Amino acid sequence: MKLPIAILLAGAICCAEPSRPVASYDIKASLDPKTHIITASEELTWLNDSPDTVSTLQFHLYMNAFRNSQSTFFRESGGQLRGDKFKGEDWGWIEIRKMQTAGGADLTKGLRFIHPDDDNAEDRTVAEIALPQPVMPGETLRLAIGFQTKLPPVFARTGFRKDFHLAGQWFPKIGVWEKAGFRFSKQGAWNCHQFHANSEFFANFGNYRVELTVPSNMVVGATGEQIAKAASAAAGTGTYTFQQDMVTDFVWTAQPGYLREERMFLADRETTQAEVAAAARLHGIPESEARLSDVKMIALVQPEHREQMDRHFHALRSAIKWFGLWYGRYPYKTITVLDPPHGAEGAGGMEYPTFITAGTMYKLPPESRTLEEVTVHEFGHQFWMQLVATNEFEESPLDEGFNTYSTAKIMDRVYGGIGQLPLKFFGVNVYSLLKLPLLRDESMNRAGYVTQPAIDDMLRQAWQYYDGSSYSLNSYMKMSVTLRTMENILGADVMARIMRSYHQRWRFNHPTARDFQAVVNQVSGKNMDWFFDQFFFGNRLLDYRVGDVTSVQRKTPIGVYEKGGKTVTVTKKQGEEQDKKNDDDKKFKKEYLCTVKVRRMGDAVAPVDIVIRFKDGSTEKRAWDGEYRWVKYTFIRGSEIDWVEVDPERKYQLDVNYANNSWQDRYQVEVSAGWTGNLLFWMQNLLLWATSLA
Amino acid sequence: MTSMQAISGASRRVASRKLMVGIYWAFHTALAAMVALPLMGAAVSVLSHSRYATEIMRGFDVMWLFEALSASRNLPSPMVLPLFLLALLLAVKGGVFLNGGAVKLLVHDEIGYSPREFYEGCGRNYWRFLRLMLYSLFFYGFALAIGASITKAAGKIWGEGLEERPLVFAGYLKNAVQILLCGFVATAMDYAKVRLVADDSRQSLRAAFGSVRLAWKNKGTVMGVWLVLLLLWAAATLVYVQVANRIQAVTIGSILALIAWQQLYVLSRVWLRMTSWGAAAELDPVLRPRQMPPEETAPVLVEVAAGPPVLEAGAEAEPEAGTQQ
Repeated sequence: MKLPIAILLAGAICCAEPSRPVASYDIKASLDPKTHIITASEELTWLNDSPDTVSTLQFHLYMNAFRNSQSTFFRESGGQLRGDKFKGEDWGWIEIRKMQTAGGADLTKGLRFIHPDDDNAEDRTVAEIALPQPVMPGETLRLAIGFQTKLPPVFARTGFRKDFHLAGQWFPKIGVWEKAGFRFSKQGAWNCHQFHANSEFFANFGNYRVELTVPSNMVVGATGEQIAKAASAAAGTGTYTFQQDMVTDFVWTAQPGYLREERMFLADRETTQAEVAAAARLHGIPESEARLSDVKMIALVQPEHREQMDRHFHALRSAIKWFGLWYGRYPYKTITVLDPPHGAEGAGGMEYPTFITAGTMYKLPPESRTLEEVTVHEFGHQFWMQLVATNEFEESPLDEGFNTYSTAKIMDRVYGGIGQLPLKFFGVNVYSLLKLPLLRDESMNRAGYVTQPAIDDMLRQAWQYYDGSSYSLNSYMKMSVTLRTMENILGADVMARIMRSYHQRWRFNHPTARDFQAVVNQVSGKNMDWFFDQFFFGNRLLDYRVGDVTSVQRKTPIGVYEKGGKTVTVTKKQGEEQDKKNDDDKKFKKEYLCTVKVRRMGDAVAPVDIVIRFKDGSTEKRAWDGEYRWVKYTFIRGSEIDWVEVDPERKYQLDVNYANNSWQDRYQVEVSAGWTGNLLFWMQNLLLWATSLA
Repeated sequence: MTSMQAISGASRRVASRKLMVGIYWAFHTALAAMVALPLMGAAVSVLSHSRYATEIMRGFDVMWLFEALSASRNLPSPMVLPLFLLALLLAVKGGVFLNGGAVKLLVHDEIGYSPREFYEGCGRNYWRFLRLMLYSLFFYGFALAIGASITKAAGKIWGEGLEERPLVFAGYLKNAVQILLCGFVATAMDYAKVRLVADDSRQSLRAAFGSVRLAWKNKGTVMGVWLVLLLLWAAATLVYVQVANRIQAVTIGSILALIAWQQLYVLSRVWLRMTSWGAAAELDPVLRPRQMPPEETAPVLVEVAAGPPVLEAGAEAEPEAGTQQ
């Protein structure tokens, strides 16, 4: 598609109306720091924005995932997550003490636990309540809920450690009523998944107002803006009120020891006029729309990580800027980054609306950008998960994978990738000392992907992947590599328009992968269904390789020929004599019969470019549709083939083997000698250590 | 004798037996090649005619490593680990064997290097040194247990806290203590080897405990030698790393230069290892003076008739008393 049309289409797509707040919460909660119990009252306002009459309600009670070892979360995770293990001493739970309608009808006794995902009768993370009167289309329901939540020790995202508290998934949260035609729904029904080891987000947008009462020595951070603070000297408590509209969740933290710092992201200072103009030009939008807005950045950092404060802010600034310029301005006024303390690392690397948790360590070397990567990635979830609120349970790659793709682009652009791994001995940066190779995000994503490229379909329900590793690989790396491949096929500018169009079209909404596919086809002007069928919805393996390559000098033809109306016979001996003469004749121009075979080793079919270079410097290019298992090209040339390369621009990052994508005549003696020498050296040293004990 | 004097003397002993250093180096190199060559053969066969190799030579790409690992999973049998374990086993057994010859020549300074003397020492001391190595595991285990107890204690004191810093510093302390203790054990075992050779003894267990006691009693001198050698190793490593990092190994010439530099470093490590034994050999007679045998009474000179006794024809030897015909 020509550029202006693409821009027009992108512009047309970006103007869809945002959805309305469906589930809004007004919560008053107080924390007992000794028992780690939160006692709260919640007023839920739920809008039935469907044409259906709804007679039941379903709620997430996710803290019950930590109630016992028989919950679905525990069965799936084995009581550990990302290396952090549950010690089995202190459990978490949530109890609804009271639930009544605005009319005063008590619903508490009608509450029953359901298990829509796995029939696990022991799981209490989803509850259903039958309403005395159904909620009619367009009607608003108000419920008053009294509840208590006991936080578990932190090992999986949420909980406490000593006086550190992170309350995520802590309140009764209503499920999503999906009317017919909404996402995959064929008829109106609740979408309310149990709490699983590998997924937790899918909710309607709503307005939140939360009052938190905690001991007065605690520093508090939460989703949204703090609009009020009151202290009670008698009770020794402080009450903080936070408010945020149009978000899908609410999280908060309290700990006495935080270093709290606020800095402003000033849009006009952080972005240049040229950058804004370039974004506007690329996306065909007015500069006023491309311009970003100011954001208050808040960091809550552990005292022993004091020197990392600047790094968090720098990462946040970079993320706000580039996510904003690429996909649309960050619409909220605040972003808070929390640095969990030692022992609460399980709470790190998490995303909640306007609130993220970091991942770092004591004296992290500045050359290691893992801190920045976590902060940028978690901020990215504000765009992929929060603003474009896909269903993480059913299509986790749409948030983790899209975000991994975006994170890699920012990290590689701003920091040159992750850089070094934090490898230290007595505080000395060994990685730097040994000059080990610097790591780029894009490379790391593909490195992860090639380990198990086709173990599962990329898009599956999060708890139905082969194992945790397959979940991670498909949700994060494979989607990132798939999007990068698509970018290489369509071009960077077209891909940038696709991503922004998709984001803008579905901001404050709940798309599926099919919706993304529609945007891709529309904005690119190409039918990319072949790509989606094989790589998004299937698990085809892509592997092209150079097969046999030969360059054979042509000999004098022998046998019986018709020449000038006469029959001429060239004997084998005559032929050999002629060949010898030709070899001795320096003016004789040799000819070679050159053949190249390229093979498709995987089951994925994709058009691919092939370049054949001859030793005289000439080049042949071929485009192969990849339909059959192999293709053969034959040339008669004055020189031999120097090298052959399939997919020379390396468009297909999905290709599982780059090494076999090319062939060259020259043997790479440097690789053999250099690498063997290096390995020999390391083995010698290892054995010397072993024999020094002998 | 000071530590420096011991090291100086040891260096002289090693320097006069360069072939022995060469044997030690060749042994480790051969075993390392046993693992490195097949492994690299498999890796390089994929890349030897690939243009990707040129890219990787310019800047190593971690993606290739994962591609190779992924591809190796499909091999009929993962042969790398057994090969590595075999090399390790041979290294330990072969190391014990060669140590016997090396220590013998370093202890008996008067014997110059000759293959006969060297291998005689290897064979003679093999079982003694092998037993000693097995006994030394007890001491190494003890050293590791102390390190582990530091970690455990730190975990108890600070593990439940909200700060990582004390645990990081406890980790430094644990590493330092463990290195020191392992160094002490390794040095004591060097003295045990020297003791076994000097006394031509088979008492490996006694030598092990005796040497630990000796090293503990003279820890200043003994650990002084160890510390100087450790610093020399650290300095050699630092110099090696600095120079190696500057060599852009992309052409054959530069690759060969790097390989030569690497082998020089390996040789320096072998040299330091032998110097450690040499220093023990220097210090052993000082720290453990030999018990002199009791003085014998001075021989009494007896006048002997000059020349052999004259035997006459027909004379018969008188039977000795108590013997029966």
